[in-house]
Amino acid sequence: MRDVAFGQYYPSNSVLHKADPRTKLIAGIVYIVAVFLCDSYWSYLACFSFLLIACLVSKVPLKSILKSIKAVLFVVLITVIINVFCYKTGTVLWSWWILTVTDGGLIFASKMAMRLIFLVVSTSLITFTTTPVTLTDGLESLLTPLKWIKFPVHDVAIIMSIALRFIPSFTEEIDKIMMAQKARGACFDNGNIFKRAKALLPVLIPLFVSAFRRADELAMAMDARCYNATDKRTKMKRLKFAWRDLFLALATAVFLALIIMLKCGFFGLL
Amino acid sequence: MQIEIKDLSYVYGKKTPFEKAALHGVSLTVSEGDSVGIIGSTGSGKSTLIQHLNGLIKLQSGSLKVFDIDLSAKKPDYKTLRKKLGMLFQYPEYQLFADTVEADVKFGPVNFGFSKEDADKAAKEAIEMVGLDYDEVKDRSPLELSGGQKRRAAIAGILACRPEILVLDEPTAGLDPAGKKDMLDLIRSLKGSFLKSVITVSHNMDEIAEYCDRVILLHDGVLLSDATPTELFYGEDVEKYGLSLPHVVKIVKLLRDKGVVIPEVLNEKDLVKELKLYLERGRKNA
Repeated sequence: MRDVAFGQYYPSNSVLHKADPRTKLIAGIVYIVAVFLCDSYWSYLACFSFLLIACLVSKVPLKSILKSIKAVLFVVLITVIINVFCYKTGTVLWSWWILTVTDGGLIFASKMAMRLIFLVVSTSLITFTTTPVTLTDGLESLLTPLKWIKFPVHDVAIIMSIALRFIPSFTEEIDKIMMAQKARGACFDNGNIFKRAKALLPVLIPLFVSAFRRADELAMAMDARCYNATDKRTKMKRLKFAWRDLFLALATAVFLALIIMLKCGFFGLL
Repeated sequence: MQIEIKDLSYVYGKKTPFEKAALHGVSLTVSEGDSVGIIGSTGSGKSTLIQHLNGLIKLQSGSLKVFDIDLSAKKPDYKTLRKKLGMLFQYPEYQLFADTVEADVKFGPVNFGFSKEDADKAAKEAIEMVGLDYDEVKDRSPLELSGGQKRRAAIAGILACRPEILVLDEPTAGLDPAGKKDMLDLIRSLKGSFLKSVITVSHNMDEIAEYCDRVILLHDGVLLSDATPTELFYGEDVEKYGLSLPHVVKIVKLLRDKGVVIPEVLNEKDLVKELKLYLERGRKNA
């Protein structure tokens, strides 16, 4: 259970780690938009290089980053298979029964696969370089305008940070319960999928019981300290926009401009 | 020899920034009939050590043999191992899950391939062994029992498998004083039946001094001492390792500081006996 790489913070002291979470979130969104604007090979190359530079700057080992791709490899594979067989323009390379493969399909499928991988790597790069708490702080700050339409931004943020906070606790708990049931002869890696699902019951039931108990305890502890989400609350660590954020924002802006220009053929300039 | 550990080392999160060594070259053996206590401050590697015994952690380096089952083999016989070596984790009541107490207690025996009659019989006996009323609790949900009863039900679930070695991780944590005593007396009374040896991990030095005949001291993943409670508590300065002395030992040491020399005792009964002897000697000399 411990080697879930997707969305795990990787401690380091790189520029990306120190950057403001809001900058990273916006840069992430801009990058995702840019990935979906891509159509030429040059623009894909630009996306790849931008991501590669970001990865190198972050000092997160490439191995951990590749691990996060492994988590979605299955989804990527399915997308590729569906696209290869369903995209029917271009020259037919191979066909059998209702299945046809065209060169257009192959190209489209590989582009889709690249897009998906770029998406996963860019988002996990944000979580690799930002602790969950900072990330929620950044999100809360970014969503502040929604307060105008009476959207409970702070409540949502606290719900998110509690959820994030408890992920490691529950992973640990699952580990413990699994060990205890294994010690009583339970087997989790045998049999077909239904057998396996059934074998998980002795883990899931205690887990839910404990989750409800923890929720109760946490609610009581928050009440005991007079927690009130509606009040104007201050922060222990205030987010600050620094020079490195400006640099990061500019780099992203240049990147987006490049992608748009590639899409529009440099407005006929080249 | 029931358990043979040689040069066991273990590192958590190998090759990640979270890498942490938990055990370092630990060697020890446990023979039939032993009552072993394992002590050490938090993070000393106690839990890691006992999880190895049941094959719950994969061996990284060193060798480990339990009942002639070699844990360094490619596919050790985990089922036999776990049937013969029962393990009770901390707060075992949080692992209860079945609809009824009886079904929960039977979970182990059924997994280990007991026949239906045998499993029923083992469950009934185990529930009675731990001092619960079989007819009253068997059809109730384990979640509606009281705290002490839950703990007993959880222990019944282990005992129903008829283990030869029982490993207990903080068996008395969170129990009231009467519950603690009941628990330890229960374990002591079971030893000698199907149960041959008991290994207890505990922070309570009084319990260790009274119920174990061998104590293993771990500190930062290194085995520092493997001795009798008397040798350890009177010989070593365990307070240096973030542990305390049993209160009887503390009293004897304080008495000795004041010039009252009495033998090295470990429980209240012996302490009172020795004090009485001392006083009688003093009266005779006067």
